[in-house]
Amino acid sequence: MLTIKILGSGCPNCKKLEALTRQAVEGLGVEAEVIKVTDYNDIMAYNIMSTPGLVINEKLVSFGRIPSPAEITTFLTDTLTAA
Amino acid sequence: MNVLEFLAKLFYGGLGNLAAYLAAHVLLCLLPAFYIAGAMTALIPKGTVTRFLGRNTPRWISYPASALAGFLLAVCSCTVIPLFAGIYKKGAGLGPAITFLFVAPAINILALVYTGGVIGMDLAIARLVLSLAFGISIGLIMALIFRKADIAHDKATDAMFAGQSAMRRTAVVFLLVLVLLLVAGTFQFDFLKHAYAQVTLPLDGMDAFQQWLNKLVPFDPARGEEGVTPQGVLLIIFLFLIGLTSWKGINNIHNGFNAWTWISTGLVGLTLLLAALGMTPHAGGLTLGFTGKFFGVLIAVLVLGWLLAKKMTRDETRDFLWESWRFVKQIFPLLIAGVFIVGMIRVMIQPEWIQYIAGENTFLANLVGVVFGVFMYFPTLVEVPIAQMFLSLGMHRGPLLAYLISDPELSLQSILITATIIGRLKAWVYVFWVALFSILAGLIYGAWVDGGSLGLVVLYLFLFLGTLAFVLWLVDRRNRHKVLAETVSVD
Repeated sequence: MLTIKILGSGCPNCKKLEALTRQAVEGLGVEAEVIKVTDYNDIMAYNIMSTPGLVINEKLVSFGRIPSPAEITTFLTDTLTAA
Repeated sequence: MNVLEFLAKLFYGGLGNLAAYLAAHVLLCLLPAFYIAGAMTALIPKGTVTRFLGRNTPRWISYPASALAGFLLAVCSCTVIPLFAGIYKKGAGLGPAITFLFVAPAINILALVYTGGVIGMDLAIARLVLSLAFGISIGLIMALIFRKADIAHDKATDAMFAGQSAMRRTAVVFLLVLVLLLVAGTFQFDFLKHAYAQVTLPLDGMDAFQQWLNKLVPFDPARGEEGVTPQGVLLIIFLFLIGLTSWKGINNIHNGFNAWTWISTGLVGLTLLLAALGMTPHAGGLTLGFTGKFFGVLIAVLVLGWLLAKKMTRDETRDFLWESWRFVKQIFPLLIAGVFIVGMIRVMIQPEWIQYIAGENTFLANLVGVVFGVFMYFPTLVEVPIAQMFLSLGMHRGPLLAYLISDPELSLQSILITATIIGRLKAWVYVFWVALFSILAGLIYGAWVDGGSLGLVVLYLFLFLGTLAFVLWLVDRRNRHKVLAETVSVD
C-alpha cells in the first residue's frame, strides 16, 4: 500500500498533478492513498521551493513541475520494487 | 434619458473598450508576453537564482538576487508563496524574502509589457526601476526592525539552495528570440512602421463594412478611443480559433502531443503575422502593407518554429506550451470581463471627480491612489485597463503610478497569506512601508512628469535612499555593539 502526497495550495498545476497521479495509480492497479497537503508549514517541511510537489511513502520524488504520466508510473514502480 | 437608453450606452461603452483592447497592437504585445511568461516558468531552472539565497550569502548579493528572482521566477503564484516561505524560513531571512515578495507581483513580465503597450513605456520603466529600488529598501528596513526575531529562524542547512543547474543554451536562445518578437511587435521605431511593399486585394464593400463597424462600435478619438477595423474583426476570429484548438491540443498535452497541438501553435504564429500587417480598407478593396514590423515578426516566428520542432526536447516543448496556455486560461477570461466592465463604468464616472481628487501630483492624491489600490482587488492585469481609464479621465501620472505599484502589491488576500507565514505584526508593518513607498514613488515620478529635470529627480531619489541606507547602517552598528555587549556580559 502506497501513501502518495500532493504538495500544493490548490493551484491549477497541483490539480493536474493529482489527476495524472490518480491515472497512473489506476493504470498500475496498485493500492494507494492519495493525500493533498495544502498547509504551507507542512509543505515547507519537505524543503521545496515551488509547488506542485509529489511525495511517495514520505520520499520527495519531484517538485516545481508536472512530471509526465510515464515518469509518475516509474516513480511508483520504483518505490514498489524497493519496498 | 430613459433606463433602456442608459443601459444601451453602458453596453456600447463595454463593447467599445473591449474592441480597443483586442486591437492589433495590444495583441502583438500580449501574445508574446504570455509565451515569455510560459517559457520563463518552464525553462529557467530555479537553482540558477535561488543558490544565491542561502543563509550564508552576503547581503549585497542576497538582496539583488531576491529582486532578480522576483523578476525571473515568479510569474506564477505557485512559485511566489513557496519561494517566499523558503527564503524566509530556511534561507537568507526576512529581508530578502520581503524584497522578493515586493518585487515579484510589481514587475512580472506580463504586467510590465501590458503597461508599456497600453499606457506607455515611460510608466512601465518607472514601475520597473522604482519597484526594484524600493523592494530592496523595504527588505532592508524590515530586516532591521525585526532583527531579533530574524536571528531565531529555522536552523536548516543550505542544501535546499545548493542547486547548480544551468540553463540549456537552446532554452536561452529560445527565450531571447521571444523577447525579439515582442520588441519587433511593440516598439514604435520608424523602420518598423514603414511599409516596404503594398498589395491591394480587390474586395468589394470594404468601406461599407468599415462604416457598419463604426456604427456598431462607436468611438471618440478625442478621448483616446479606438474603433474596430476589418483587421480587428479578423484577429478576434483568429483568437477564438486559437482558444478552441488549444483546448483540444494543449489542455491534455500531458497525455502526448496531437495534431491540434501543432494547429493551435501554428495559428498563434499566423495571428501574430496578421496583426503585424498594415491593413487599410477603402472603396476599391483592402490594401495590405508589408511593414518592417511584419518582417521582424516573420523572422522571429520562423526561428521559434524551427527551435520548437528541431532543437527543443519533447519535455521542454510540452512544459513551455502547457505553462503558456495555463497563463492564458487563468488570466485572459478575467481580463476580457474586466475590460468590458471598465468600459461600462467609464460611462458613469464624470471626469471632474477624478480631476478634483487626483488631477494633480499632491501627497493626498498619491495617498488616494494607494488606498484605492489596496482596498480594490483586481485580477492580474486588470489593473492596467483601470489605470488607463483613470488616465483618460484626467488623473495625473504620478498618483497613477502610486496606484499601479500598490494594487498588485497589496490586497487583503495577499496580506492574509503573508501574515500566516511571517506573523501578523510583521505583515502589517510591511503593509505600512509598501504604502509609504508607493506614495513616494508616485510623488517622484509625478514631479518628473511635471517637468522636473531627470537629473534632479534621480538626485532626490539617491539622496533619499542614501540617507535611508546611512540611518540603517548607523542603527545596525549600534545594535551590533549592543548584541556584542550582551553576549559578553552573559559569558
